[in-house]
Amino acid sequence: MRTSFSSAAELLALVAADGRSLPEWMVAREAFLTGRDGAAVRDEIARRLSITRTALARGFKEPQRSVSGLTDGAAAKLHALAEPPVRDELWNRALAYAVAINEVSACGGRIVAFPTAGSSGIVPGLLWAWRDEREGDLTASSPRLQDAVAVAGAIGAVIAARATLSGAAGGCQAECGAAAAMGSGALAWLASGDPDRAFNAAALSLKNSLGLACDPVAGLVEVPCVKRNAFLAGNALVALTLDSAGVRSAVPFDEVVSAMKAIGDMMSPQLKESAEGGLAMTPTGLRAKAAMEAGFPDASRS
Amino acid sequence: MSAPALFDVIGPVMIGPSSSHTAGVARICFLARKAFGERPEKARVAFHGSLAATWRGHGSDKAALAGLLGLHPEDERLSFARELADREGLVVDFVEVRESDPGLHPNTLRVELEGGGRKLSITGSSIGGGAVRVENVNGFPASISGELDAVLVRHRDRPGVIAGVTGILAAAGVNIATAASRRNQKGDEALLVVEVDGVPPGAALEAIKALGEVLAAVHLPSVVS
Repeated sequence: MRTSFSSAAELLALVAADGRSLPEWMVAREAFLTGRDGAAVRDEIARRLSITRTALARGFKEPQRSVSGLTDGAAAKLHALAEPPVRDELWNRALAYAVAINEVSACGGRIVAFPTAGSSGIVPGLLWAWRDEREGDLTASSPRLQDAVAVAGAIGAVIAARATLSGAAGGCQAECGAAAAMGSGALAWLASGDPDRAFNAAALSLKNSLGLACDPVAGLVEVPCVKRNAFLAGNALVALTLDSAGVRSAVPFDEVVSAMKAIGDMMSPQLKESAEGGLAMTPTGLRAKAAMEAGFPDASRS
Repeated sequence: MSAPALFDVIGPVMIGPSSSHTAGVARICFLARKAFGERPEKARVAFHGSLAATWRGHGSDKAALAGLLGLHPEDERLSFARELADREGLVVDFVEVRESDPGLHPNTLRVELEGGGRKLSITGSSIGGGAVRVENVNGFPASISGELDAVLVRHRDRPGVIAGVTGILAAAGVNIATAASRRNQKGDEALLVVEVDGVPPGAALEAIKALGEVLAAVHLPSVVS
């Protein structure tokens, strides 16, 4: 089987020639690359999905508080919000779920890097929000939900091939930006079953996060990461809405990813996970850094 | 570059908060423990560069302890690694090396283990998204990702040793994915690293150990479940 691709155009051509659907082809490719059968690949997708659902439940069960104090139960607050100002349940669930999973990550819980730890709430938050709001019969064992993960993975794989999924190499556009592109594409695929629509939604989403800096306070994966998981889940839903209305990205996905790579290369190293610029260098950021270097003397637990 | 595998994008399964500062550190220390083969009597972990600045906030020390205890990087007991290390009597000296070394990746750690009259030093980098690269083993340059199972063979630099090792693996039906051998100087010691598909049988490892010029051989399990 030919498994090599480095663009969405190449991937979609391979899939079209093969005859299977995009997610079926991705599962077969993974089986080929890792020497297991397709059922084992699907079992592993299910296992990873279940881990994200467990993290989600944990994020809501009790307010998540990190050693630094920078993460402080935002998901629990969102969960308790009685009258959300935007009255759409898919929207509200997606924002809260994304934060819940990412808070568990920030507090040392078990998660799936999706595609990274700092962006780990966005794709599973969107998928579980869709499931809870639109298709309540889906579980981690449902091929349809697994297919959505495979579509998200295909989008992420193209970004990794043409650019990067590392904040240190490409800034936050490569982490939360990439995650939102993956999530919007996965939902567009659930909504339409059309791989072109998945990559169109991904292109729309990614364009709107180009240039996003990675400037974490004290170098910790907390500020702005945790709340950004909610913002970028929202970004993905805007892209989904535009795609559903038939709005096409003027710049195709592969070109958007190349632009992301070019922007990442132009960005100062101070804005790429080094905690030497942006929010990290604000007075608040510097105080948090000093507290960390002193070993968090004010922390209630270690 | 060609697109990576699905589970490289959707993964790894890990304990937060940081794929490079937590998961990567856990993986490198897990590989160090497996390469050493037993609980070390003395251990020192030096965090370089970005890790030196942020290891406290990321729980990189817990991740390192978990790895040195032999806990798989996905194991949730990582959160209690300090308590587990206390119970097992594992004491690790953590050191910060703030000066940046242009020859090293910004997220690099050096692990030194001692015990039973043996010493092991491993330098590894956490290169993003939880992926790692062990770059040096006891002074020998290497490039081990931990994605695949591997066999490390320390041997004298003599004709036929590599053929002996690959012959044993071939006879056991083990496919070699990568192989690299480095020596300090001609005729001296050398390190052979063979990454394989699947898990090499214990009998094959014993046969490799029994080869004439082989000083030691160890199986490094994959860090991916």
